Amino acid sequence: MNNLEISDSQLVSLYIKGNEESFEVLLNRYKSKVFTTIYLIVKDKYIAEDLTQDTFIKAINTLRSKRYNEEGKFKPWIMRIAHNLAIDHFRKNKRYPTIVMEDGSNVFNTLAFSEAPYETFQLQQDTKTKLRAFVEELPENQREVIMMRHFMEMSFQDIAEATDVSINTALGRMRYALINLRKKMKQHNIAYDNNIYPS
Amino acid sequence: MITTFTHHDLIRFIYNETTNEQHRAIELALLCDNQLSEEYKKIQSTIGALTKVSFEPSNSTIETILNYSKSTNLHAAK
Repeated sequence: MNNLEISDSQLVSLYIKGNEESFEVLLNRYKSKVFTTIYLIVKDKYIAEDLTQDTFIKAINTLRSKRYNEEGKFKPWIMRIAHNLAIDHFRKNKRYPTIVMEDGSNVFNTLAFSEAPYETFQLQQDTKTKLRAFVEELPENQREVIMMRHFMEMSFQDIAEATDVSINTALGRMRYALINLRKKMKQHNIAYDNNIYPS
Repeated sequence: MITTFTHHDLIRFIYNETTNEQHRAIELALLCDNQLSEEYKKIQSTIGALTKVSFEPSNSTIETILNYSKSTNLHAAK
């Protein structure tokens, strides 16, 4: 299946008709965004794995029962499910489940998130790991706006409404998030170059 | 008349949330205003880094989801 040419709504239609491969394309298209969004809220890899599973299973159940009525808007729909499940989990636990190792480091730093050969991509992975940690360290409201704009692809107007602030406040939070990230990158001598770190 | 743009305007510009008119005005300002242009480059560079921040679920999670999907497929050949 040449998945670059097939829209989400086409894939959804095919899946509803019983084409399994189309769901695999959707899953591969959104697994990272869903997982990252959840991870940035719950801050625990294992819980994020479970909630990612729950997100897609909920989507499968809705699609299979033909209750899906957001044709053409699969992405915001699946991201909303992910966000809601993560927020529900967070509210139930009422704490940040950050796991700290004996040496004080976050357990996240000890986990291998990439399936690429470590030796080959060590430099890239080290940098990416640091960048992820910088995002995690941002104040809650700044991390939230980054998550909503980058991973959920919400507009600043939508973010303002969802977080009950003015659009200028949402933009201000984004500005400070970017300033803080830039400072951290500078402190750690990370100058991001797309030629060195391709997608 | 010289229009001054704020950091907020630049952020909206980068995220394509300006009107066509604002977009053109900021593009023009970036050509003439070195300070604005420098700020734009800094923001772009940080956002460029940010786009690389992502996490991947494990293969076993993906397998579990795909298996669940297959198990619920009533159209599949028996």
